[in-house]
Amino acid sequence: MMRSVLRVIAGCVVPPLLAFALLIAFWESYIAWRDVSIFVMPAPSDIAERFADDPGFFVEEGWWTLYEATLGLLIGSIVALLAAVAMSYSRPLERAIFPIAVAIKVTPLVAISPVLVIVFGFGVMPKLIIATLLCFFPMLVNATIGFRDVNPAQLEFFRSINASPWQVFWKLRAPGSLPYIMSALKITYPLALTGAVVAEWFSGTRGLGYVIYAAWLNLRTAELFAAIAVLAVTGVFIYAVLSLLEQRLLFWHESVRSVR
Amino acid sequence: MAKVSFHVSLNSVSHVFTDGRLPLRALEDIFLTVPAGQFVSVLGPSGCGKSTLLRIIGGLVRPSSGGVEVAGDAPNRAQATREIGFVFQDPALLPWRTVLGNVTLPLEVTGRRRELAPLLLRLTGLSEFADYYPHQLSGGMQQRTALARALAIDPALLLMDEPFGALDEITRTSMRYELLRIWSAAERRRTVIFVTHSITEALVLSDRVVVLSGQPGRIVADIEVELERPRTPEIERSSAFLDYTDYLREMLNPSRMQGPVVSA
Repeated sequence: MMRSVLRVIAGCVVPPLLAFALLIAFWESYIAWRDVSIFVMPAPSDIAERFADDPGFFVEEGWWTLYEATLGLLIGSIVALLAAVAMSYSRPLERAIFPIAVAIKVTPLVAISPVLVIVFGFGVMPKLIIATLLCFFPMLVNATIGFRDVNPAQLEFFRSINASPWQVFWKLRAPGSLPYIMSALKITYPLALTGAVVAEWFSGTRGLGYVIYAAWLNLRTAELFAAIAVLAVTGVFIYAVLSLLEQRLLFWHESVRSVR
Repeated sequence: MAKVSFHVSLNSVSHVFTDGRLPLRALEDIFLTVPAGQFVSVLGPSGCGKSTLLRIIGGLVRPSSGGVEVAGDAPNRAQATREIGFVFQDPALLPWRTVLGNVTLPLEVTGRRRELAPLLLRLTGLSEFADYYPHQLSGGMQQRTALARALAIDPALLLMDEPFGALDEITRTSMRYELLRIWSAAERRRTVIFVTHSITEALVLSDRVVVLSGQPGRIVADIEVELERPRTPEIERSSAFLDYTDYLREMLNPSRMQGPVVSA
């Protein structure tokens, strides 16, 4: 048991940490060697120093951004799931909804951020809307395929026991679509984070996006990079949680089983 | 004349598939009556329409013409009252449910008591595997689960479509006698219509064997199997069994059957 834990640490944790440490060491020594100005590019030690100065500040702003992104993700996902149910049952509804979804998808959302500021001001609303819109399309497409992708033999069995459409949905289509929904979440959660940060540039009074913007205006490069680092860690954290959740929920699915 | 009631009766049933490019005549002019409690095998080569016949009886497919009655009613009506249980070649278990969960599923759907599930697992020899997931089971165990699941709605009519077709020969042989044991252990005799392309399987299991010719499927033979029950593997070596085998092999001989002639 102990030995296997050690082996996992040696196999999975040490190599990426080593690569990361090498990268940091290279960065640090390059800046020392060429004497690069901190206004051009801060050294990792400068960034770490700025973070250590006031870690509570970064964590708090990070939580705020994560909160906006998560709320946007929830709203976007729920609306997308409802639309996907409608689309998977009715072709006319699909034809009605899909062009709107594509329009949302292809419009560069950065372009509508200023509009949202005009309409909704500087509060949390524009961030939520951007995050929601970014999440909507990938979830819609994945969930629609997921609800439709049913093993015909399983469907025939449900028909043979005279199951109601409601039962077919909850006992067959919904669990069967989970692999698709999980893949969608792995795409949309980081997108929601991006959306929240971008919206904060335009209209933020809080959050890491705002911190980055303010630091950039004032040439506080160490602070700017520290905020980016916190964002990166947040993204990795989200991905790790989703992967764990996937392992838990999809233990029965080939995608998870084949990895073990 | 006394009215004889059959559990299943097909009156001049024909079926043509029209969803392909050319209309495909799957079944032609099938007359078949099955009394309650009989174990009937439908024997025929691949693609002779036996699965279609089973789906028509089960109300999953509407025949192009002809009349079908199950328990004196239309098949879809019989299916609605959960008269009909299905076991397919693909066990089609839900991978996210355990063996117990899969057997409980029809109980949930029909609102029957869930406590019946453990009894069904005991009957099918699955008690120790209740908490296993389908991907942890062998093909034979998966098919047992599918059988337990089909029995969960307590159907008077059990339709089985090559349920052992995907199993290896050894498992397949033992599953035949397992099925016989389970069938005769029930408090009431269920009518079974069993589709297969194995002569031995048909003879071991059935009271009666109906032979279908290939494309379009027509009934070319219909024999009673008068072998004593309970049947054990020894029966497969009896002379009567071998005579039946010879007869059915002759009936299945492609030269006797009408169908597309493959020329070199």
